[in-house]
Amino acid sequence: MSRIGVKVGNVDLKSPIILASGTCNFGHELSEYYDLSILGGLSSKGLTCKPRVGNEGVRVAECSSGMLNSVGLQNPGVDYFIEHDLDYMRSLGCGVIVNAAGHSFEDYIEIVSKLNKHKDKIDALEINLSCPNVKAGCMSVGSDPNQVAQIVSLMRKETDLPLWIKLTPNVTDIKPIALAAQNSGADAVVLINTLLGMAIDIKTRRPVLRNNTGGYSGPAVKPVALRMVAECSKVLDIPIIGCGGISTYEDVLEFMIAGSSAVEIGTASLIHPTCPVDITKDLEDYCESNNINLKDLTGTLELW
Amino acid sequence: MQEYKCKIKNITNLNSDTVYLTIECPDIANMAKPGQFVNISADKFLKRPFGIASVDKENGTFCIGVKIVGKGTKIISQFAVGKEIDVLGPLGNGFDADMYQDIILVAGGTGVFPINFAKEYYTKLGKNVKVIQGFRSKDQIIMSDDNCIVSTDDGTYGIHGNCCDALKTLDWTQFNNPVILTVGPLPMMKFTGLLAKELNVPCFVSMEQRMACGIGICLVCICKIKAEEEGKPFDHKRCCKDGPVFPYEEVIW
Repeated sequence: MSRIGVKVGNVDLKSPIILASGTCNFGHELSEYYDLSILGGLSSKGLTCKPRVGNEGVRVAECSSGMLNSVGLQNPGVDYFIEHDLDYMRSLGCGVIVNAAGHSFEDYIEIVSKLNKHKDKIDALEINLSCPNVKAGCMSVGSDPNQVAQIVSLMRKETDLPLWIKLTPNVTDIKPIALAAQNSGADAVVLINTLLGMAIDIKTRRPVLRNNTGGYSGPAVKPVALRMVAECSKVLDIPIIGCGGISTYEDVLEFMIAGSSAVEIGTASLIHPTCPVDITKDLEDYCESNNINLKDLTGTLELW
Repeated sequence: MQEYKCKIKNITNLNSDTVYLTIECPDIANMAKPGQFVNISADKFLKRPFGIASVDKENGTFCIGVKIVGKGTKIISQFAVGKEIDVLGPLGNGFDADMYQDIILVAGGTGVFPINFAKEYYTKLGKNVKVIQGFRSKDQIIMSDDNCIVSTDDGTYGIHGNCCDALKTLDWTQFNNPVILTVGPLPMMKFTGLLAKELNVPCFVSMEQRMACGIGICLVCICKIKAEEEGKPFDHKRCCKDGPVFPYEEVIW
């Protein structure tokens, strides 16, 4: 293992960098820009049982140091993905993380059981209990520890693939929710999904987004994400994958010190598609010049 | 594909709210096809997309027109010559009209910029190119010359009316294997397409939507396209990657 190799539970990753779901599709487009095999993994666009056309436009609003999106889980559906994209993802040479979402407990069980039939091609399932852009959707499930416990237990019965649960930051206290996931059989938690937000057009006095609200991402949300990783790191025994506003190698180090075993890069890829290449190189240089293995940084934060 | 660091070689004011930038990037100058765009850094968070207005392969430069419509375009309009900017491009599918002989180009608003590149490109290919431009009034006229058919909404120059009124003045019996390519505001493209349908002339439109990545990974810049699958009302296609150019009849207006 190189100096930047990490482990998330039983999953070995050659680098801590995973491309975040919804910011890399299934890898086809970004592989025109760089060799994705340098990555620890790629998390697929969020999949649902049935195809979804997603929300009406406008779907994006630029904000201070970040952006709002309201894509609404547009995706071709899990069956199409299995037939057309899964083998391609496997061929990329990085970890294959398949992101799944649902509208009901039944949806989550169905999608997990379908993906489980292809477990030889999948390194981990990332379960989205946190999308802010789907009406009657998964964020409400992900805000309630009891429902999180129920849904994770049900999925646990369907698969022995690693289950990574992606949680919403739009809650008063994330710790009981992360604990509920852990105690129901989750292998890791992914912290955090986007923050629910709004932008307003002062000329029309209407929200910029056609969906009224959207998910806030980018460097602006990094302090919130870091705080949540640090909080959960103190109470969890399972690994944390940190996510939120990472755009430099220093950001990765901060997330690892706070308690992450790996990290996800999302919005930064929308600005500079090849930023994960630079971050990877910078992390290697950092480890070399400091003579450390990156994984040894995880959870080394000492609070005042 | 790659992201480039490019120098701004020249900036010209076209009118009170529109500037014309010449940017150095030999790769983009060589690769670009009309209808394609670039996504450039605006010293804000997201990049901003602009249709390529012209290329100069010899000097390794390309041009874009920037109309000030918000904070990002305002900042870009104030960039200085020599400034280095991040550029992704050429992006999108562009027009695919090489198989047609007579190319009728219809431009409104900032559509005059990509249409200008189409004019240069197809003229070089030896096509018979006709350009129709629509402006609000005489003082708004940019990117025009004596060969362009100009219409103004207020009648202060050229044909009194819009692009469609100008299109109707053409003698359609004269054309040999024609196609209409149009870039501009949605209603203008819609009515241009309707007229093309009446005339039984193929028509391609260039769609615009608020964009983030420009390379097809974020799915925010969607437009409604008729679904291939039966029973499905529509598909959301990506303007940046599946477009921006679509056949008129595939778009749900």
